Amino acid sequence: MSDIFPKWTNRLPLMALIGGAILGVTAVAGSWYYLTPEYSRVGYQPTQPVAFSHAIHAGQLGLDCRYCHSAVDQAAHSNVPSSSTCMNCHLQIRSTSPKLEVVRESYESDQPIPWVRIHQTPDYVYFNHSVHVNRGVSCVQCHGRIDQMDEVRHEKSFSMSFCLECHRNPEKYIRPVDQVYNLGWTPTVAVDSELDGSAFLDALKKEQISKGKELVEHWDVNPPTSCSACHR
Amino acid sequence: MKNSDLTPMPKSVNKSSQSGPTYWRSLDQLADTPEFQEWAQREFPAGASEMNDPFTRRRFVQLMSASFLLAGFGLTGCRRPESRILPFAKQPEDYIHGEPDYFATAIPGKTGSTPVLVKSVDGRPVKIEVNRDHPAGLAGTDVFGQASILDLYDPDRAYRFTSKGAGSDSATVLDKVSQASKKFLGSKGKGLSILMETSAAPTRDRLLKSIKQKMPEAKLCSYDAVDVSASTHGSEVAFGSKLSPQYHLSKAQVIVSLDNDFLGLEEDAPRMIREYAQSRKIFSPEDSISRLYQVESVFSLTGANADHRLRASSGGILQVAVDLAEKILSAKGAAASAPLKTALTKAKAANSGKEGLWKSAVEWVGGCVEDVIANSGHVVFMAGSRQPVAVHALVHALNHLLGADKELVRYRSNESLSDQTIEDLVSDLNKGSVDTLLILGGNPAYNAAADLNWSAAQAKAKTSIRLGYYQDETTVISNWGIPQAHYLESWSDSATCDGSWTPVQPLIEPLLGGLTEIEILARISGLSDTDPYSLVRDTFSNATGELEFEESWKQALHDGYLDGSAAAIETDLQPDFESVASSITTAKFPTEPLSVDNLEVVFTRDYSMDDGRYNNNGWLQECPDPITKVTWDNVISVSPRLARKLDLKNEMVVQVTVNGKSVEGPVWIQPGLADFTVVLPLGYGREKTGRVGLGAGFNAYSIRSSTNPNFTSKASLSLTRKTYELATTQEHGSMQEGGSFMQGRAIIREANLDQYKEHPNFATSMGMEAHAKNEGSLYPNPLDDPKYRGVHQWGMVIDLQSCIGCTACMVACQSENNIPIVGKDQVRRGREMHWIRNDRYYTGNIEDPQVANQPVACQHCETAPCESVCPVNATVHDDEGLNVMAYNRCVGTRYCSNNCPYKVRRFNFFDYNQRPLDKLYWGPLAEKGMPDLLQMVKNPDVTVRMRGVMEKCSYCVQRIEQAKIRQKSIAKDSDNIKVPDGTFTSACAQACPADAITFGDTSDPESEVSKLKENSRNYALLGYLLTKPRTTYLANVRNMNPNMPGAVVPASFKEYEEKNGDPFAHNDDHAQGHSDHSEPHSDAAKKGAH
Repeated sequence: MSDIFPKWTNRLPLMALIGGAILGVTAVAGSWYYLTPEYSRVGYQPTQPVAFSHAIHAGQLGLDCRYCHSAVDQAAHSNVPSSSTCMNCHLQIRSTSPKLEVVRESYESDQPIPWVRIHQTPDYVYFNHSVHVNRGVSCVQCHGRIDQMDEVRHEKSFSMSFCLECHRNPEKYIRPVDQVYNLGWTPTVAVDSELDGSAFLDALKKEQISKGKELVEHWDVNPPTSCSACHR
Repeated sequence: MKNSDLTPMPKSVNKSSQSGPTYWRSLDQLADTPEFQEWAQREFPAGASEMNDPFTRRRFVQLMSASFLLAGFGLTGCRRPESRILPFAKQPEDYIHGEPDYFATAIPGKTGSTPVLVKSVDGRPVKIEVNRDHPAGLAGTDVFGQASILDLYDPDRAYRFTSKGAGSDSATVLDKVSQASKKFLGSKGKGLSILMETSAAPTRDRLLKSIKQKMPEAKLCSYDAVDVSASTHGSEVAFGSKLSPQYHLSKAQVIVSLDNDFLGLEEDAPRMIREYAQSRKIFSPEDSISRLYQVESVFSLTGANADHRLRASSGGILQVAVDLAEKILSAKGAAASAPLKTALTKAKAANSGKEGLWKSAVEWVGGCVEDVIANSGHVVFMAGSRQPVAVHALVHALNHLLGADKELVRYRSNESLSDQTIEDLVSDLNKGSVDTLLILGGNPAYNAAADLNWSAAQAKAKTSIRLGYYQDETTVISNWGIPQAHYLESWSDSATCDGSWTPVQPLIEPLLGGLTEIEILARISGLSDTDPYSLVRDTFSNATGELEFEESWKQALHDGYLDGSAAAIETDLQPDFESVASSITTAKFPTEPLSVDNLEVVFTRDYSMDDGRYNNNGWLQECPDPITKVTWDNVISVSPRLARKLDLKNEMVVQVTVNGKSVEGPVWIQPGLADFTVVLPLGYGREKTGRVGLGAGFNAYSIRSSTNPNFTSKASLSLTRKTYELATTQEHGSMQEGGSFMQGRAIIREANLDQYKEHPNFATSMGMEAHAKNEGSLYPNPLDDPKYRGVHQWGMVIDLQSCIGCTACMVACQSENNIPIVGKDQVRRGREMHWIRNDRYYTGNIEDPQVANQPVACQHCETAPCESVCPVNATVHDDEGLNVMAYNRCVGTRYCSNNCPYKVRRFNFFDYNQRPLDKLYWGPLAEKGMPDLLQMVKNPDVTVRMRGVMEKCSYCVQRIEQAKIRQKSIAKDSDNIKVPDGTFTSACAQACPADAITFGDTSDPESEVSKLKENSRNYALLGYLLTKPRTTYLANVRNMNPNMPGAVVPASFKEYEEKNGDPFAHNDDHAQGHSDHSEPHSDAAKKGAH
């Protein structure tokens, strides 16, 4: 009987196996990269030209976010402060600190400090800071506890589902307007010594939702969920 | 495009504030950092070499391109690149990154400027909007105003000082100017000639006066390619002094216009359009509206809007005017006007044997005169600047006799500083008596009359210095060339048509180092301080007469005008009838009748190019002519009758010969043209211009003579064997079969005033939906679910009564929404990208048609047919009634466009923004990238679309969202989140000079748009499809005089009636469907289903 299959076909199963394995690895690696926080940059923490600590300024010293990010409640874009803003205080305080050399140089030479950008929405997303902070969405919802970070890191995934989660359920996240810049704020829960950790958190969540629902109703909060809200 | 912190820019460019970093300086410094240089070199050598391109010589432009390249790097790798945020080192006061600022400034014009507010984002002017608070009283701008921002960022504009067309440097050239100044200050100006365009600019006038004082022998020559001074000359005849009339049409009852295209190409058009539209607003049958009589040879926008239009050759209009005036004087003559009456009767008798008035014209004039007499006191006459002085003098006299000069016409003094005409200057040049010729603006080498032979004459001046915006025909033959600054780049001032002092405030430093007229004049007059800012301030302090004027200066800059500075109105003017009579007696009447062998040639300004000054503006090149709908070219328009006689067809190339000179161009058969008139629009056929304008059209100036610059007879037309392809949008997006006629589909609904008074609901009585049973739409309506309905419900109403078809909305939309230019070849394929188009329909007789205009953009149907067929949900409804496009989802199937009954969707067949338009078909072989300067004109709030995605009108969603955000930021912890009516509007509505477009929230019953939608004239386009469009139209009401010859109902109405029967006959049956209707109806039904 002549060969129906030539001899090389003996290697076919092996080839299929190796090919399949390569395909599998690619698929896993691809989804690993694109579907995990790796891709949405969670955890990105570049070294900045100036070792500025939010933990000291916003946390320990309790500076309001808007002292430096002064346009956050007026514009789409939250500004990074100019060197002159730093020098308002640092002309007096630690005016010779070597850590501030870059800032002083920038101030004197009129050259900007090249901060590394951490948070960035894609070009087709028209995010607006002012409407969020003016309507009870705190900085912490997107940026995390900046007031506890020595070096700022990318805390949350800026995926579309992240935005929509809040736009669909604003009551879970909204807070009184005067507490927007208080990153540590939580709704007040009657302290009950019986409550253990997880029960306390549950109570907090419940309180947030009931309080949130009230705010949503009183302020007529209706976050848009249509395409036109962010894409133009 | 989006804002980023990468490019900090100053909020305003104010020469006086030297403190703080200016945009350009800080970027210059940044461009020099070794880090940046190294990166650009390593990653993208091609990009680095691009920086040697002449257009990127300026360092800030280098950096602009580099920063966009940085953004581009992200696309080449898998990982996001590290990007930097560069805040200011020292924060300028009041500057908020990304938030727009508006500055009051003005677009300079010949007889008056257009006051505008210019939107500036991060130091970059991006959009022109009209200054409605200005006393000049404008509601919008014209196409030229909207498009002028593109000129600022034209990569082909003059960017360097030149010597005989070759590069030179500013020091050398300005030194020449200073030398000339010294020399002529010594010699009292002997041998100095200054050539410039007319302009209403107080500082320029002040400097010219001082030059005349210091150099009494210097010659000032004012020259415009298309002269607009005929009316002033007419006033000199009639009143003995140089005056310019300003017409206030809003209160007029009857308007008689003799060849005056006041809605189109005459000066001051945006204001005239508003006045005219106001006189035509009608919201209830009790309102009265004006009636417009137009006599013209060409088919102008004004003619297209006229209730009664008489076709007459341009030369014959003098006869029509004489006939009109004679009849009026017979009826209303006074003792003082007797000499005029005698002259008119004589002139009429003398010319009756020649090309006298034909029968229908006599009837026309008779009917018109009756109407004029009946409305005496509310009648205004106007003559076009093409017409001879005699016609203007006659018009001034008639306006006085009929009492129009009390309210409808106001005269202001218009003294010119000019000593001589261009003919005088040419003869001086030829005599050799001009030593130094200073040419400020203009472009005589291109547009001076052919018989003057300008180029040869200019060569006889020892030195010629030219200030020009382009490296054009005149600059290359001048000894020294100086680049001119754009009006948004440097300080100047102007007067609006009412004489109000209006600042021309810059928003940006000169991009390519240009200078202004006043800087050059200041140098010539020997002033030590030539800074335009202080020159303008000096004029201002003279105008206010105050020593401490800082506060009023700031106020004037903020408001955009100096309050109370309007020029005095001349009252108690008494016409000198004898002088008018003698001008009639000496006027040149046509000597022999026009015929195929004795054609009349009329030279007109072009609706896109004006006199050629906008030749390199791509938005204007691509904006269809409002009448012919031709883009990218000018055409030789001929009447249908002439075409039949000579067997002409569109796109045949013919040769027009007059006075021994000839020019070749493509034929366009224009319905409504006077039989033997051939129209040649000016402004095309340039030899030296930018890349956009080169090769477009033919140069009609080449056969224009200085004796008859406006029209001339004894022309002949001969065929060549050539044809020339034209790109016209005439049939694009057509909603009816068979081209330009509506086939009784009631797309445009019109009635005459008396019909409207009898049937205020005429609009809803017409159309299929008036008869067909409403069985519900084929398509789902997402807004039926009350939970899905948002706080606002956006809608638009377009009043066809007000729309005059000027296309300013198209260019405004293009500017606001980053709409690309696609080029002539793509327009021919129907791929133009305009989100709003202006459909022009002819109805009635082809020789003498009526015209209807209709702007059509996405109708934002509630039950949108496009949405159901999109396989990827790229076009969906939002909760406020917008039909939105998600560009990122679009895969380009174009199903939506196929299923759109209104044909308003536009597809990016190519990467129009990124690829050169002449290499679209090269694919990846063509170079990629937008010229650096052009990137700056883009609106940062709107995505720049790429190849393969569908786009369409978004109702300016960026403006809606910004308004909502602003309101919510104000609301804070309250529920005051509804945007108040009138807070904002769409770009088209904002630009509309006629206030024809109203945009707003239909869920608010008190909003203007809701009220208009309640009006009885409101109807939906193709309403029987039950698409429930959010854009609706108000039907047009014409005001035709029943005593005039011809139809007394609009031709479109008659056409509808012939097809479908009388719409008013079945008023009672509508509820029962259309079972009892005759055959034509079911015919129409089939068409509807088609």
